[in-house]
Amino acid sequence: MEEIFPLLKDMLNNSIQIKKDELNLQFSIIIKTEVKGKLAEPEEVLIMLKMFGGLREDIPIEIIINNEMQTIDLKFDNKENFKKVSLMMDKIWDNAVDMLINLTEGNYNVIKDIPNIDD
Amino acid sequence: MTDPKAIKNNPFKELGKIPKLKYKDGYSVQSIYIPIRNGLEIAATICLPKSLKSGDKIPTLLTQTRYWRAMELRIPFRWILDETVTDVPNPEIITSRGYAYIKTDVRGTGASYGTRNVPFSDEEIKDGKDIVEWIISQPWSDGNVVSKGISYTGTTAELLSVNNHPAIKAVIPGHGFWDPYTDVAYPGGVYDHAFMQLWSFLGKNLDINNPKVFRQIMPDVWLFVKGVKPVDNDLGLKNLKEVMNLHQSNQYVYEHTIDKDFRDEELPDGVTIADVSVYKRIEQIEMSGVPILAWCSWLDSGYVDAIIHRFLNVKNPMIAILGDWNHGAHLPANQFFPDATKVTPSPRDKINAWMNFFDKCIFGEGIQDKTLYYYTMVEEQWKKTNMWPPEGHNYLRFYLSENHSLSTDMPDKEDSEDEYQINFRATTGRNNRWWALLALPIVYENRAKMDEKLLCYTSKPFKEDTEITGQSIISLYLTSTHEDGAIFVYLEDVDEKGNITYITDGEFRVIHRKISNETPPYKTLLPFHTYKKQDAMPLIPGEIAEIKFSLHATSVLIRKGHKIKIAIAGGDKDTFLTYPKDGRPTIKISRSNKFSSYIDLPIIKRGK
Repeated sequence: MEEIFPLLKDMLNNSIQIKKDELNLQFSIIIKTEVKGKLAEPEEVLIMLKMFGGLREDIPIEIIINNEMQTIDLKFDNKENFKKVSLMMDKIWDNAVDMLINLTEGNYNVIKDIPNIDD
Repeated sequence: MTDPKAIKNNPFKELGKIPKLKYKDGYSVQSIYIPIRNGLEIAATICLPKSLKSGDKIPTLLTQTRYWRAMELRIPFRWILDETVTDVPNPEIITSRGYAYIKTDVRGTGASYGTRNVPFSDEEIKDGKDIVEWIISQPWSDGNVVSKGISYTGTTAELLSVNNHPAIKAVIPGHGFWDPYTDVAYPGGVYDHAFMQLWSFLGKNLDINNPKVFRQIMPDVWLFVKGVKPVDNDLGLKNLKEVMNLHQSNQYVYEHTIDKDFRDEELPDGVTIADVSVYKRIEQIEMSGVPILAWCSWLDSGYVDAIIHRFLNVKNPMIAILGDWNHGAHLPANQFFPDATKVTPSPRDKINAWMNFFDKCIFGEGIQDKTLYYYTMVEEQWKKTNMWPPEGHNYLRFYLSENHSLSTDMPDKEDSEDEYQINFRATTGRNNRWWALLALPIVYENRAKMDEKLLCYTSKPFKEDTEITGQSIISLYLTSTHEDGAIFVYLEDVDEKGNITYITDGEFRVIHRKISNETPPYKTLLPFHTYKKQDAMPLIPGEIAEIKFSLHATSVLIRKGHKIKIAIAGGDKDTFLTYPKDGRPTIKISRSNKFSSYIDLPIIKRGK
C-alpha cells in the first residue's frame, strides 16, 4: 500500500473540491470521483475534522449530505467557527496523508492529541 | 537476508518467469453475500478483470480469512480508494493473470453471518465447499478454483482440499500450522500466553467491528480504517448490525486454553485441539490429491516444523519452501544480517511465483513429486531435496562438559553437575519467533547480556565450515527442587570476536517428559511426547530425570573458527506462561559418565 502514498495527496486534492461561502457561513465538499455506496454519515464528517483537521472542541455544525450529488455542506452559526474550520479545510487532505505516512514510519506522536473517537 | 544472487535451486526462479498478462486494465470490485447451506450467508469481495468479456471463462483464486476480507476506509480515503487498497498482494496482480480473486469472511467473522466456537471447525471447512460450488456456478467461472493464504488464510487454503471437490486444483498454505498444540499454542507443552491472549483479543474486536483497539496496537490501521466492509447493498447497515449481534456469542481460544495443559483436554463442542489441526485431516487431504505449495521460514514460531511434518506425512504432490524471513515474508529475519531491511523475494515476485504454480496446476503439466527447497543461512544458498532429512544427514553429539564447555568427548567423571536457579526475568523480548505471529519483525538482540542470566555451554572453535540442517535434539539429565518447570534451550553461533547470534531454540515443560511408545498421530523423527493428561510425569524433587526434546528446525552454516553455544533458561517471561506457578526451582544438570547430558546437532556432510 505504501506504493500509493506519494500519489495520495494529489489524488485527494484533485478529486475533492472545497467551495467556501463566507457570506452564508458555509462550505461545500464536492467529491468528483464516483463513490460506491453512501458518501458518509454526519458523524464521520465530524470524526474527519477531529482526526485530520485538528478540531478539539464540539462546535455546532449543520451537516447536509447529498449522496446523489456527492456533496457535503457544512453550515455554521457564527463567523468564528466558520473561520476555524475553514482554515482546517485548507490543508486537511495533506494532513491526513502526512499523518498516515508518519504512523507507518512508527511516529505515533502524530495522533497523541486526537481526542477519543467513537466509531 | 535471502540473497537475491542465490540463483541455484532458488524455488522462485524455478517456478518460472511471469507470462504475458491476460488482462491489463484493472479490476472491478463488488462485495456481496454468498448463500451457503442452512440459510447462512458469507460475505465475499469479488475482483474480476475489468475487460473480462461476456463468455470469457476464468479460474478463481479464493482466500478465506478471519481478519476482515475487506476494510471500510475512513473518509476522505474512502472517496478515492476502494476496499481492496490494503490487500497484499494487490488484486490486480491476480486479475491481470486471468484469475478472479475472491476473499471471504469465514463464518462468525467480518461481515459474515454465523458464530464460531473454535477456529477451523468442520463447519468452517464445509463452508469452503459451498463457496466453491457457488463460484463454479458463476457465468465467468471456468470451473477451476485454487486457494492461497498466509497464516490463518494459509490454513483455510490447505483445509479447502479436505472437501475433496474436483474444482479445487491447487492450494498454497503459507506460514500455516500442522499441529496447533505444538506449533503455536503449547510448543513443547509450554503455553504461549502472549500470542494466545493477543490473538483472541484481536479476533474478538475484529468480530464485533471495534476498531478503537487498533489505536494502541496498529495506529496506522486505526487512522485509515473505519471497520469491516459491509456488502455493497447493505446501505442502512442492517446486515452488519445483525451479524455483529451474532458475533457477540463467539468464543475465543484464550478463554478455553488458559486453564488447560494437555492435548486431550476439550475445547467447546467436545472438540480437542487435535480436531482443529491439519494432521487430523491427512486422509481427506490425500484423497483429494490436490497439489500443495507450502512455505514458511526457519524463524517463524513452530510453523517451521509444520513444513517438515507436512512434507513427511502428506503424499500429495508438493513443493515446500523454507526461507529466512518473518511470518508472512514481508521482512527479513536472518539474524546474521541484523541491518537488512529488504526481503527477497519481494512480495510482488512471490505472488507471481505462486500464480505460476497455479497456472502449472490448472493449465500445465502440474507437479508430480515432492520437493523441499530450503535456504541455508550464513552460506546464503538455496538447496533442494526430495527427502527429509536431506542426504548426508548425521547427528554430531556435543556433551555438556566441565567449565561450561561443549565437548564431543563423553564425560568420564562419575559425579559432575551444574546447579542453576531459574531466573524468571529471562526473556527473548517481544520480537521473538512467537510474537512474530502478529506479523512483527523477528529480532533476537543482546544475546550476550541475556546469556548472563542463563546456564551456558560453549564449544571449541569449529575446524571446518559445518552445515546444521534439521532439528537438534537435547537430552538433559537433571534434578529439580520442584515437580513442574520448563526448560528453554537456545542454540547460538559465536564468532571469533565473541559476537553471539541466535540460531534457533526449543522449549519443553518437564511434566510432559515421558517418551511414549504409542504410535504418534503422524510421522515424526523427534522424541515423541503425547502431551496427554494420562502421560503426565511430574518430577520427583531431588530425583534424576531425563528431559529430551527437539529444537525448532533450522539450516545454518557454522563457519570455521566459530563456536556454538547453548544457553539454558527456565522461562521466557514476555511470551510463555511460567512453570511452576509458585516457587523458583533450582535445577542440577548432570554431566557425569552415567547421566551425560548432550545435544545432537543435525549435520549435513558437505561435498569436497
